[in-house]
Amino acid sequence: MKAMKKLISAAVVMCLLLSLAACGGKKEEPANTGAKDVTATQAPAKEDGKDSQSSAEPKEAELNIMMSFPQYMDQWETYVQQFKDKMLAEENIKLTVNLEMPSSDQYESVLQARLTGDDAPDLYTIHSNNLKTYNEAGYLTDLSGEVLAGKIFENVKNTVSIDGKLMAVPIESTAWGVLYNKDIFTECGLQVPNTLDELKNVCKVLKDKGYTPFLLAYQEQWVPQLMTALTIGGKVSGEAKDWLERMYADNASYAEIIDIFDVIDVIMQYGTDRAMEEGSEAGSADFANGKAAMYVQGTWASNTIMTANPDFNMGVFALPVNNNQACTMVNLSTSTTLAVYPNSKNLDIALKFANYVLDDKDSSALFQSCSFNPIATVHNYETSSWVKEAYEYVEAGRAYQDLVLPNSVTDEQGKLLQEYYVGSVTREDIIKALDDKFKEANRLSKQN
Amino acid sequence: MTKKKRENISLLLFVAPAFSLYFIFKLYPAFSGIYYAMTSWNGLSRTKQFIGLGNFIEIYGDKHFWNAMLFTSKYVIVMLIAANVLALGLAVAIESRRKGKGIFRTLFCMPNMISMIIGGYMWNFIFTKVLYYLTDHWGMTFLDKSWIGNPRYAFIAIIIVSCWGIVGYLMIIYMAALQGVPAYLMEAASLDGASSWQNFWKVIFPMIRHSLTICIFWTLNSMFQVFDVIYSLTGGGPGRATQSVAINIYEEAFTGNIRYGYATAKSMVLFVIVFLITVVQLRLMKRRELEL
Repeated sequence: MKAMKKLISAAVVMCLLLSLAACGGKKEEPANTGAKDVTATQAPAKEDGKDSQSSAEPKEAELNIMMSFPQYMDQWETYVQQFKDKMLAEENIKLTVNLEMPSSDQYESVLQARLTGDDAPDLYTIHSNNLKTYNEAGYLTDLSGEVLAGKIFENVKNTVSIDGKLMAVPIESTAWGVLYNKDIFTECGLQVPNTLDELKNVCKVLKDKGYTPFLLAYQEQWVPQLMTALTIGGKVSGEAKDWLERMYADNASYAEIIDIFDVIDVIMQYGTDRAMEEGSEAGSADFANGKAAMYVQGTWASNTIMTANPDFNMGVFALPVNNNQACTMVNLSTSTTLAVYPNSKNLDIALKFANYVLDDKDSSALFQSCSFNPIATVHNYETSSWVKEAYEYVEAGRAYQDLVLPNSVTDEQGKLLQEYYVGSVTREDIIKALDDKFKEANRLSKQN
Repeated sequence: MTKKKRENISLLLFVAPAFSLYFIFKLYPAFSGIYYAMTSWNGLSRTKQFIGLGNFIEIYGDKHFWNAMLFTSKYVIVMLIAANVLALGLAVAIESRRKGKGIFRTLFCMPNMISMIIGGYMWNFIFTKVLYYLTDHWGMTFLDKSWIGNPRYAFIAIIIVSCWGIVGYLMIIYMAALQGVPAYLMEAASLDGASSWQNFWKVIFPMIRHSLTICIFWTLNSMFQVFDVIYSLTGGGPGRATQSVAINIYEEAFTGNIRYGYATAKSMVLFVIVFLITVVQLRLMKRRELEL
């Protein structure tokens, strides 16, 4: 009997050991792909000769940063390195930075697991639409008092503020509308349309000259969704100004903005075939090769388009919703922002990094190398022609701030537009489904 | 200590490493899921509000969930027949060959080694690019269908890709069973004048019933949880027309309103349904198995 007890306890111990090993193993190796430690071995700033500071032993500190930019890993690594050199030179702090870049499809879940598991990174990127949720859960630091707050353009700042408080550093901000092929437009002697009738005319002329007016790539749901983003945004900002507010109060309906379907119908009617079989990347490539003259897609696709056809002559115009020119506006939205975790052990250094992202001297180079758009007064670099064109609308006051709809409603719009395209739902079905979805989202946000 | 006990303990010890992993990463999450299914947790907030059976009541009226369930059932039934018939056919065909068994076995089993996500994207390319190329340039107009956009053809496309992915695996199981059928039985049957058709249905088929049980059990079980093929091929679209239950659960948990609690409740419902069906299936089929 004794021997048996021993054996059982041995088995229990083994189980425990194994479980420990399993957990420990997960923590030690960077659980996320692309995580790299950028430890400074030699700080070049030190070699300048002035090491009056290095006489004192440098303080050691650690900073954990998590970002959703695996495609810009190199640029951010370089920037982090510069920050470390700066810290060592100016503050005599020897900083170790763990920069993690999980792939974008797992980013959210990794971040949420880390936050709820009390293993939060000191700085992390989130989408500006999620700022409200994260703020309510207490995961954001108010940055209004920091130096960086004074540098950000006012209209960009609004997109990342809650109740007038700056809650994150905007990083990717875009003005976007409809992309068009300038060469085709010039050849047909066409001007950028400002009203729905003008748009219809443009389509007719293009068709007569043998061009397909619109490129449709509806396989991924977020692409058709761009049409509702633009049309609802334009309509609401130009005419139905309190619509969104009333939607959040369960006191409005999509029926009030039903005319957004007029332009959606035009786009679908004058579009390319086999839209459901066309992914967004394939769509960009086809657009670059002249398969159609216009493409409802953001300027973020420029990379793919320019790779597919480096000589492409691209322009941006605002999508008309109806014949009221006040509704014809480009969308100004902020996607990725950088947030600071309020309970960070090195909050002061984390804030310094946040400020350094908009540094007077170094920030421009970083933003330019990642081909981000300028978002602050410190950014004084030359941008591409299409970005400039879109920002001309912004400067002329013809831009609206991206509407923040509940995520579930945004997703639903994409799904319903796919179904609208294949003909399985009508306008009325869409209105009812979206109204229901909005009410559900309202109910759920109250519950939590 | 008796010999029996000793044996039991050593057995337990041998199982311990695998079991502890299984316990930590499968059993514990599965059972804690019962608790989460009764909360309105959104996966982010630190507090989890207990709402009892509220989620389950909501599922009862969730149109999208039951549509997805209907679609999944349709998918399972078609797959059950198509995949098993194909796999058994292939297994018999390959087993009856004298030469090149190894090559064919490897060829047909190969897709099973590729992750279905990758397989799905490969086929996505075939359906959206290659087939249209054949249509436009080679005049094969019967291929000019909306393979992703039309729910009917999208269903066919999903079935084709799924079969391509799992037939190899089922085939191996059937082949192993076929090799276990004693040659003397078949010889005796053919000496008695049985045609090869009769030989198959009267001798071989009853002898491989046990592998049929396994294969049907496995297909039922895994096809109810179908996710990767559909996700990479159609994304559940257009709209929700090809949405399986697993995709519906995924969307509930990770997109839109991010409702972990509700999504867990849905997966509980799926679990119960799959569990009941497989229990019935095993009961029915076990009874008809033969042993020598």
